[in-house]
Amino acid sequence: MKHRMVVLVALVLAYGAVPLLLGSMDYVMSLIIAALTIGGVALAWALLGNLGGLVSFGHAAFFGVGAYTSAILVVDHHWPVLLAMVAGGVGAAVASVATMPALRLRGPYFALAILAYGHIFRILAVEATSLTGGAAGMLSIPGFPTLLGINLASKTGAYALILTIVLLFAWLYGLIRRSTYGLALRAMHDSELATRVVGVPSTHLKAAMLVISAFMTGVVGAFNAHQINFLDPEYAFASSWTVLPIAAAIFGGYRTVWGPVLGALVVFLVDQLVFKELMPSGHQLVFGVLLGGMVILGPHGLLPLLGRWSKKEASHAGA
Amino acid sequence: MLELDAITMRFGGLTALHAMSLSVAEGETLGLVGPNGAGKTTLFNVISGVYAPSGGTIRFGGQDVGALPQWKRARVGIGRTFQIPQPMRELTVRENLRVAQRFGAGKEDPAALDEILDLLGLAHKQHADAATSLALTEQKALEVGKALAVRPRLLMLDEVLGGLEMATKRTFARTLETVRARFGLTMVIIEHDIETIKALCPRVVVLNFGQLIADGTPEAVFNDPQVIRSYTGDTPA
Amino acid sequence: MLELILQALYSGLLAGGYYAMIALGLALVFGTMRIINLAHGELVLLAAYVAFEMERSFGWTPLASIPVALVVVGLTALVIYLLIGRIRQDRELNSLILTFGIAIVLTNLILMIWSADIRSTSNSWFMDGVVLGDTLFSMRGEVIFCVIGVLLLAATYWWLNHTWQGRALRAVASNRDAAKLMGVNPARIEALSFLVSGVLATFAGVAVYTASVVFPAVGHNLTIKAFVITVLAGMGSVPGVLLGAVLIGVGETLTTTLAKPSLQELTGMVIFLLILFLRPSGLFGRKGMVKK
Ligand SMILES: Nc1ncnc2c1ncn2[C@@H]1O[C@H](COP(=O)(O)OP(=O)(O)O)[C@@H](O)[C@H]1O
Ligand SMILES: [Mg+2]
Repeated sequence: MKHRMVVLVALVLAYGAVPLLLGSMDYVMSLIIAALTIGGVALAWALLGNLGGLVSFGHAAFFGVGAYTSAILVVDHHWPVLLAMVAGGVGAAVASVATMPALRLRGPYFALAILAYGHIFRILAVEATSLTGGAAGMLSIPGFPTLLGINLASKTGAYALILTIVLLFAWLYGLIRRSTYGLALRAMHDSELATRVVGVPSTHLKAAMLVISAFMTGVVGAFNAHQINFLDPEYAFASSWTVLPIAAAIFGGYRTVWGPVLGALVVFLVDQLVFKELMPSGHQLVFGVLLGGMVILGPHGLLPLLGRWSKKEASHAGA
Repeated sequence: MLELDAITMRFGGLTALHAMSLSVAEGETLGLVGPNGAGKTTLFNVISGVYAPSGGTIRFGGQDVGALPQWKRARVGIGRTFQIPQPMRELTVRENLRVAQRFGAGKEDPAALDEILDLLGLAHKQHADAATSLALTEQKALEVGKALAVRPRLLMLDEVLGGLEMATKRTFARTLETVRARFGLTMVIIEHDIETIKALCPRVVVLNFGQLIADGTPEAVFNDPQVIRSYTGDTPA
Repeated sequence: MLELILQALYSGLLAGGYYAMIALGLALVFGTMRIINLAHGELVLLAAYVAFEMERSFGWTPLASIPVALVVVGLTALVIYLLIGRIRQDRELNSLILTFGIAIVLTNLILMIWSADIRSTSNSWFMDGVVLGDTLFSMRGEVIFCVIGVLLLAATYWWLNHTWQGRALRAVASNRDAAKLMGVNPARIEALSFLVSGVLATFAGVAVYTASVVFPAVGHNLTIKAFVITVLAGMGSVPGVLLGAVLIGVGETLTTTLAKPSLQELTGMVIFLLILFLRPSGLFGRKGMVKK
């Protein structure tokens, strides 16, 4: 019951208070939209890490494929934007199928093989000039429509859209995690033999997580393309789309559903509002420090870390 | 129900199973005995698909299962336990069974899980963490529970009674008998204790250095001079 | 056409010389610690920028800045080693994230100190043409550093096989526990492998600065290239590293000649994935990258 209340209050704040209070400040809204965009990718990345047990250094690939798929469908084939965004997710999911041979590699090699795929997709986007416009990119990609009287192309509208996407993904993630699939996936990390012998097709489940994670990343990539109305390969496949979500997920706690999203909000907003002001070039250094620091101080991220500290304090207080 | 034909398993230079043939009839309870290192666990590993044998065929219920991956063997009805208990970490006892049931048997059935938990005396521990909060007997019971949740037709037990005290062992053996009757199982039991084997298994086979050296009733087998010699450490000629 | 292909082979061969230096450093650390140092390319880049700074501020020739770069890069390598030592669980994956983070820090530090401009030596002596057999063209810098690369590789090979430390390092690489029983201190050997990797990175960095161009993002590409070559070599064989480096070097120059320069990077990536999937133990090695 208490849990329900918290969720309700959070929803009212997110959908009501934020646009009411900040809606008029375009710059702040843009930052929040960008932070949620990264949060969406971070959530997808963490789903793959937490449930699939796979660390990926190549989510930029899925982000870029989703962005291009959607943009091309809208520009060249006049698909409605929202439908094309779903297709962007499907495009990224299809691309992830190409990466599946990498699933039989051990952890670090999988991570790096996916990184290689990211580069390959970027180069292909540059080379497929007739489809993607090549290195010059695509200009004036149509923005979001008006839906149920809400102009999604406005800052507030775009905010509501990405918020909804992220919430839907978080809900889906939670659903998977609580299902027997989620249980089996959780058990697989440390007890792969025990799970296989009772009939769990572990490689298939991992593959499924990869597809779902890629789909989510693709949808978010597509959202971003229609939000900024512009794409070029260097931007769509930029390593930032990998680095920032990883930093956010690890900072917020990649073993939790909300950690990556909250992590993205904190990390990105602090970076843009503080560090970018302090050091205009090279402020991404902060993400590097963050990644290294989190690995050394608490390999499961900040949320569990905070939980541990507060537990410790409670037990001290009790003693 | 289970027919092994000329199964050979080599690990590098070591031959753990030597062109071994064996058949187990439907409804039978077979005791599998032999000294340490004889290849008993390896045989289970080959049947359940943990290892691909170097040669030979495995037929189960008339079907050649040799090419099936491990997880599909569970689905055709081969359940097994591990000599060293392998709980699914991070899950509770009940969640362990849920996963086994969902993937092994194909659908969730809470009532069936309740029954298994009751039979094995695990009901009161069902929400405890499987990896960290079970006593040895309970860990062994969970091993059996996971295998049962798969709804197997063949249940292979690898020293589930090993390391237990005499009284516990007897109770557990009776539980196994109940379980067998309730689910109509065919069973293969690896066990060192002769009294237990006599109580549970009408038929016994003896494995030594990867070869079957005896097959028959417990009385006949345990009086066989060759079997006695294998336990006192002689190598076969 | 034949002439162009011969020229491409020659240029690729020369590039292979210093690619090998870059890759061997990564392979050594991987061999001893099972750790892929994703900041390795940034170490190489750091050496290049030290050479640049010495040339800009004091007019030193790149070769003269090697001792300074050795100190800077060696110390940085040791810091990375010490940080990795603080990882408590799942070292294989966490070290990947840690060194990924260190790479980002180094790239951005370089960006802050030396800006995003493209740099290369202004020392024309290195850029003079050297013509081989009337047809094969190269810059003096390329030839010099290819030779240095091959010599360094030979020296490392000799060191690994004929010195006590080298043998200890190989012992740790093949079986840590057995090495301990032989009285080897694995921690010290791991530190040593990081130092040697730093030395190789230093020479490689000065080579890249002299024979090619650098900018902050190059570090990442160098890491990937080193990793690709290491995978080709099969993790930990010195002759394998040289062959893999030459293969990548030649593959790249041939792609440039026969197709187009923008596809150069693709060649390496595709070779890399093919090897991972078809021959996961590498072309010349045994160690498994596949599960179980
Ligand atoms: N994965 C393996 N790799 C190498 N040797 C193995 C492996 N598994 C079992 N063996 C060897 O096979 C032989 C039979 O072992 P096992 O089947 O465990 O015997 P037991 O009859 O005691 O269960 C032993 O010599 C053992 O060392
Ligand atoms: Mg055994």
